[in-house]
Amino acid sequence: MEKINSFLANMGRSVGKVVGSLYQAGRDSIDQVMTNVLPFMAFISLVIGIILATGIGDWIANTLSPLASSLTGLVVLSLVIALPVLSPLLGPGAVIASIIGTLLGTQFANGSIPAQWALPALFAINPQVGCDFIPVGLALGEAEPETVEVGVPAVLFSRFITGPISVVLAYFASIGMYS
Amino acid sequence: MEALAKAAEWFIGLFQQGGSVFASLVVGIVPLLVVLMTFVNALIALIGPEKIEGVGKAAAKDGLLYYPVRYVVLPFLSVFFLTNPMAYTMGRFLPEKYKPAFYDAAVSYVPPPLGIFPHINPGEIFVWAGIANGVEQAGYNVAELAIRYLLIGLVVILMRGIVTERITAAMWKTKEAK
Repeated sequence: MEKINSFLANMGRSVGKVVGSLYQAGRDSIDQVMTNVLPFMAFISLVIGIILATGIGDWIANTLSPLASSLTGLVVLSLVIALPVLSPLLGPGAVIASIIGTLLGTQFANGSIPAQWALPALFAINPQVGCDFIPVGLALGEAEPETVEVGVPAVLFSRFITGPISVVLAYFASIGMYS
Repeated sequence: MEALAKAAEWFIGLFQQGGSVFASLVVGIVPLLVVLMTFVNALIALIGPEKIEGVGKAAAKDGLLYYPVRYVVLPFLSVFFLTNPMAYTMGRFLPEKYKPAFYDAAVSYVPPPLGIFPHINPGEIFVWAGIANGVEQAGYNVAELAIRYLLIGLVVILMRGIVTERITAAMWKTKEAK
């Protein structure tokens, strides 16, 4: 009887733990969707809606499409975004990457840009990822102030080199996809 | 009067377009996102994110062999288990000279898995979803794009980690020389 009791208690506890974790996980994901995802969707929809409805979108798309359907164009795009003076300004909230990405998405959708350019494009619009967050990110890693002083320009310069390289790597990695 | 009505129609039209964009985003992205994030969040809670600390200690070692540990394995595990921005706290296990390069590798691996593991940074999912939605509407299967983005991202962060480590070392030298 003792054994059965402790077995039941143990089983109850582990089932409770799993169910509790699942429930908490559900609560967390709904929370994240409400606080982060939906507001951002509203913002993106407003910007994209206005851009599309006013026809600015066609103009931007006509400028971006040729750029986004050649390797040179994408490398140039990534070089501009990764300029060490620009990248920290373009970083926050991934707003610029999201807007350019969504605009490019409309061009992928109607076929103006062939789909095999999607992978290098994903890297080309985002060489500035985290460039606005370097001091905080380093502080989270308990870095000394001198490390931050050296680390911020080091990362920014590195992006100017590695941004275009990542586009080229992605270009080779997309060989054979969607063709 | 007619002009006024035209203007009003145009004004509303601006937002109708936005509304339909919003509707397609909510219907297209949110349901999958919620269920997938619930699964991964539960998995992480059951495994226990503190288990990856051993990898952090291994990644601190010098030598060629530890480059992939420091700039591929550690960033991947940190980002997957701790998500943005807590992933960067794993830098505390590394010597100062490797911290900028680790941050660079880790933060650069936040977008690449978003197609399969959106829990890493759901707030910035459009970095991936903007282009992916377009590709999907053009009639292609985005799973292939998602998996290639995730894999080539690992190569990119290794390359980026090494380059940033070298640049950090060079800048440190010039700073000390002054």
